[in-house]
Amino acid sequence: MGKGYPTIAFYPEKCNGCNDCVEACAQIKTETSEPVHSRISVAKDPDDEFYGLSLCRQCGDPRCVMDCPARALTKNEDTGVVHWDETKCVNCQICTLACPYAGITYNRITDQVMKCDLCNGDPACVKACAPMALEYKIGAEIYNTWGDLEDLFVPGVGACLGCNSELIMRHTLRRIGPNTVVATPPGCIPGVGSVGVNGITSTKTPVFHPLLTNTASMLAGVKRYYNRIGRDVTMLALAGDGGAADVGFQSLSGAAERGEQMIFVCVDNEGYMNTGVQRSSTTPYGAWTTTTPVGEALQGKTRDAKPLPLLMVLHSCEYVATAALPFMEDFYMKLDKAIEASKRGMAFIHIFSPCPTGWRFDPSQLIEVARKGVETNMVPLWEYENDLGRINITHVVNEPLPVVTYLKSIGKYRHLSDEQLVYIQRKTDERFELLKKFTKESKLEGLSDAA
Amino acid sequence: MPSAKYLIIGSSHAGLCALDAIRLQDTEGSVTLITRDESLPYSPTILPYVVSGDADPEKIFLRDQKAMDHLNVTFLKGETVTTVDTKAHSVRLSSGESLSYEKLLLATGATPVLPPVTGLEDEPHHVLRTLDDAMKLRTALENKHTALVVGAGLIGMHAAENLAKIGVDVTIVEALPHVLPDYFDEDGASLIQQAFSDKGIKMHLGCTMKQVARSNGAQLVTLNSGETISSDLVLVATGVRPSIDYLSEADIEVDQGILVDDRMRTSADGVWAAGDVVQAPGFFDSEKRLNGTLPDASEQGRIAGMDMVGDSALKPYKGGIGMNTYKFFGHRAFSIGLIKEANTGSDGREEDRVSAPDLEEDRVFSPASQRYQKLVFQDDRLVGALSINTDLDPGVMFEVIRRRIDLKDMKAQFVDHPQETGRILMTKVWR
Amino acid sequence: MGKILVCDGNEAAAWGVARSKPDMVAVFPITPQSSLAEYISQFVADGVIKADLMDVEGEHSVLSVLQGACLAGARTYTASCGQGLAFMFEPYFRSAPLRLPLVMSIVTRDGITPQSVWGGQQDAMTVRETGWIHMYCETCQEILDTVIMAYRIAENRDVMLPVNVNHDGNYLSYGVEKVELPEEEEVDAFMGEKNTNWHVALDPDRPMGVDPLTGGAGGVGPSLFVSYRKGHCKGMQNALRVITEVHEEWGERFGRYYAPLVEEYRLDDADYAIVTIGSMSGAGKDAVDAAREEGEKVGLIKIKTFRPFPLQALRDALAKVKAVGVVDRSVSFAWNSGPVYQELLSALYFLDNRIPAVSFIGGLAGADITIDHFKRVIDTTARTLQGEVPSECIWLNEND
Repeated sequence: MGKGYPTIAFYPEKCNGCNDCVEACAQIKTETSEPVHSRISVAKDPDDEFYGLSLCRQCGDPRCVMDCPARALTKNEDTGVVHWDETKCVNCQICTLACPYAGITYNRITDQVMKCDLCNGDPACVKACAPMALEYKIGAEIYNTWGDLEDLFVPGVGACLGCNSELIMRHTLRRIGPNTVVATPPGCIPGVGSVGVNGITSTKTPVFHPLLTNTASMLAGVKRYYNRIGRDVTMLALAGDGGAADVGFQSLSGAAERGEQMIFVCVDNEGYMNTGVQRSSTTPYGAWTTTTPVGEALQGKTRDAKPLPLLMVLHSCEYVATAALPFMEDFYMKLDKAIEASKRGMAFIHIFSPCPTGWRFDPSQLIEVARKGVETNMVPLWEYENDLGRINITHVVNEPLPVVTYLKSIGKYRHLSDEQLVYIQRKTDERFELLKKFTKESKLEGLSDAA
Repeated sequence: MPSAKYLIIGSSHAGLCALDAIRLQDTEGSVTLITRDESLPYSPTILPYVVSGDADPEKIFLRDQKAMDHLNVTFLKGETVTTVDTKAHSVRLSSGESLSYEKLLLATGATPVLPPVTGLEDEPHHVLRTLDDAMKLRTALENKHTALVVGAGLIGMHAAENLAKIGVDVTIVEALPHVLPDYFDEDGASLIQQAFSDKGIKMHLGCTMKQVARSNGAQLVTLNSGETISSDLVLVATGVRPSIDYLSEADIEVDQGILVDDRMRTSADGVWAAGDVVQAPGFFDSEKRLNGTLPDASEQGRIAGMDMVGDSALKPYKGGIGMNTYKFFGHRAFSIGLIKEANTGSDGREEDRVSAPDLEEDRVFSPASQRYQKLVFQDDRLVGALSINTDLDPGVMFEVIRRRIDLKDMKAQFVDHPQETGRILMTKVWR
Repeated sequence: MGKILVCDGNEAAAWGVARSKPDMVAVFPITPQSSLAEYISQFVADGVIKADLMDVEGEHSVLSVLQGACLAGARTYTASCGQGLAFMFEPYFRSAPLRLPLVMSIVTRDGITPQSVWGGQQDAMTVRETGWIHMYCETCQEILDTVIMAYRIAENRDVMLPVNVNHDGNYLSYGVEKVELPEEEEVDAFMGEKNTNWHVALDPDRPMGVDPLTGGAGGVGPSLFVSYRKGHCKGMQNALRVITEVHEEWGERFGRYYAPLVEEYRLDDADYAIVTIGSMSGAGKDAVDAAREEGEKVGLIKIKTFRPFPLQALRDALAKVKAVGVVDRSVSFAWNSGPVYQELLSALYFLDNRIPAVSFIGGLAGADITIDHFKRVIDTTARTLQGEVPSECIWLNEND
């Protein structure tokens, strides 16, 4: 298998054109603040306040390397950096013709080309960027670390277009590995084909359909017996919100209270999507479902969603986290911790899972919708570690988007009135404030503040 | 008969890019790579720098043997193909051995063309297409004081500059009225000519070499104007033609070069071709023509490799665009696309290019500061860009052309700030 | 000769569990099973039962954790009844089709409503069509012995089905008797090497998909589904043989012989018989003895194994008499009679001659079925031989 590498990501909407990155680059490379020496530059579009970035993307298949006649450009297999060897360069400039991003440019002072080398993995421009428009992304490390592991879920499964259940299955199983018993109670995950159909399974680990109601209990039984006979086997539940927050909640709560050793993943698509889009206790206020319809008298769900992950924190689980797939490094970090925590007790991960079919949005927008959910603070990403006794927000959103930017991208919220939008914004803010109270250093302090 | 699943003839950019594309998808299938050279793979573009000493001939190789081993490639040096049997799917090599293939890539490049000059074939002269040529020229230059470069194309101009830099007294002869006729218009060429002239390089433009003879140890060249030039050494750089002689008996369609489609497939089943040897569809029209630039060779090689291995990510060849960068005496220039069509008539080569009356151009020409910039548009799309000493990103301009981006409302902004606007466009494309 | 205990049925069951050496036990208290839950917990605390005790939050999870453990290869035990069984019904319902060799006592209790906490077999009888094996015990000793035998039956490869060992709430759960506790080594020898790791499993060493979606209108689904159902039925029929063999072996080893399926009491020369199930059988036998003293040629048929239904054994017994009276401790609402009666009618179909049969219902919600009640049963059944056949079911405690 190949390799993935870190890159510098650019968020044009966050850039304010301050050029601190340019100065930081020039400083670290030449100890001057002359922009001409910067390997990064930002161009402003006068019309729409959009900023264009010129910076080497450290391409996986770099045209500049292909086209260099002197072999002065090479892609470093270990770091992924496209390396420029000054001693070999004959200054023919063909590389500048090969790069569509102005990632390798001509410096008229030195009469040579120059390009970004990622500052040995600690890029100065990223550190200098106050609005965080530049981000050093190490997400590809996931691929390097886990990419060679076996995909334990067969190809050709039956998910709806754009469903993230398949991603969750593949990533989670690949990471956790084959020495695992997987429980997938009725819902979208077995709907995708986890347990299989008519005698043929789709998963290379032991996998089963618990009841919608007893996932945590059955896994607890399996685990206790393996512990008894001295076998270290990981328990993994992939349950929907019905199987976790509603009819499955008693067994989940019981298992959490007893400290049963398992990783319980709630794939929360905010309703019973597999049975045709009915409401669940995690369906948010105002959302349309087939059992919270929109009509003269009612406009979607009239009650707020049950805050299941917070309830799990109050069970003193070993580990509780929320996750969303646009933030894959965050998810993997949490999987790592959940695996460790599950050796001591219950690890609970709540994955925010927008559903194109049930929520009515374009399947191609899955990741965007999920990202907006996080960036409006409707779905904050956080974790709770029992030994630390507090919540840690893992993805801080500095300037949260208004909830309407998220809500308007989803069909199930299309009918919302201005009053409903105001209510949702208020509840989102309140819930986030409540959450922040759990982030204090001391467990007692956090809880008393929250109360 | 030994066999290879993938047989690649030629180990410069086209061949190597094809090899990489194949190995990305098929790490097991046998690959044999053949080069006429005795050395590891190199780029012909590097050769003028080898002559001048800017490039160490030991360090110019595009791949070392370790890389070949790593890719599990059988690399045969010093071999050429003498015949191709497309029915039997086999080739015969100069060693007499035959090789069968499943899929064949012909990337045999080009060969220098010698002009019909009386005495040239008998007189010692140099060309510059192989490393061997470069090393011979380098050796020949020792104790030489004067050199005559025939042909003011890129090879000739690079060679002339590099010879001048090591103290040789250089004279250039070019049949056309200005230098680098393939890439620059008259105004552009005038800036280049001025720089050369400033460095003491003599240029005879619009002249051809009529005769070459020996006189007192030096070579005496007679031009069509009647003028004679005495020189210690003659370098002929009047162009190249695709190396296709070995295909005379083969059932593969050729014109000036090997004819290929937008997947670099030849007319023969299981045979692809790429690089300087092909005649491929153009970008601005579908007529097949020679292009012969390094970036095009890479692109064609990559497409051929992807098609050979059945890579579903393949996007067909968009067509050849004339382009190059050109660095001379501390100046920086480049040329992409249709840069001469808007003011035809000042040179005689427009018949080689697309004739399009609806082109409009934006020019900034300041000979005093040695700066020139020309942007050519067609229907609000950029179709050509030329720059000498201005801040433009050639790669960005190339991509704006290649993607046929409709600039619409941004056109005025693009004309005023082509560098910034181009970079913004590319950021949006990337995002 | 084992140790002699004086204990109630719940403690006897707990001793049976102790001798069976399960890996995991889980219990949730409910009257009249509660003391059994306490005995189990105390035995685990005392090390008498060396199993993991799962103190879960309700009966639904009780059976769920045991199913999980069983799928990992564990031998398990639990006990419940009444509303506990009702709450457990969802996992209970799938235990048998999963072919899990679970063993569970039902300390039978009447159903609510009206609210009641006393004995009656309405709970066990209600779940009789879920594919579990059901055996009903008559004495505390039989409870202890049957719990142990239940594992041999459940874990038999030809059976592989869960077993309910049922004993009557109140009358057996709290009734104290002399009980012989078999020696541990002798029970170990009887049980043999534990080997349950060949059945359907959740084991990374031999991964399988447990319970894929099965059925549908096309492909292999319909036939696959039928094959599972037929296999289940086959296991049930095999159980008739295995139950018999295990009871015989038990008798040989421990000297206590129980009728494995159907017990015939003073039946060989009987003109007619009464039919009993569970703890009422003792009073029934006393009543038969008394009637015999008075010259009545009456016998008794006790049903021990109700699931699988002992058709052949019951046919053979019924073939010996000319009339039969059946006493149920639960109600089949749809038939206006008792469920044992109803099913016995099916066995009568296979006889050469049609004989009269009367349904009696007694002992609901903790009510006693006395010898006098049985005298009435005997008298009523005897009169059917003179053509006096009641038109409907007789409720024994109706006037108590």
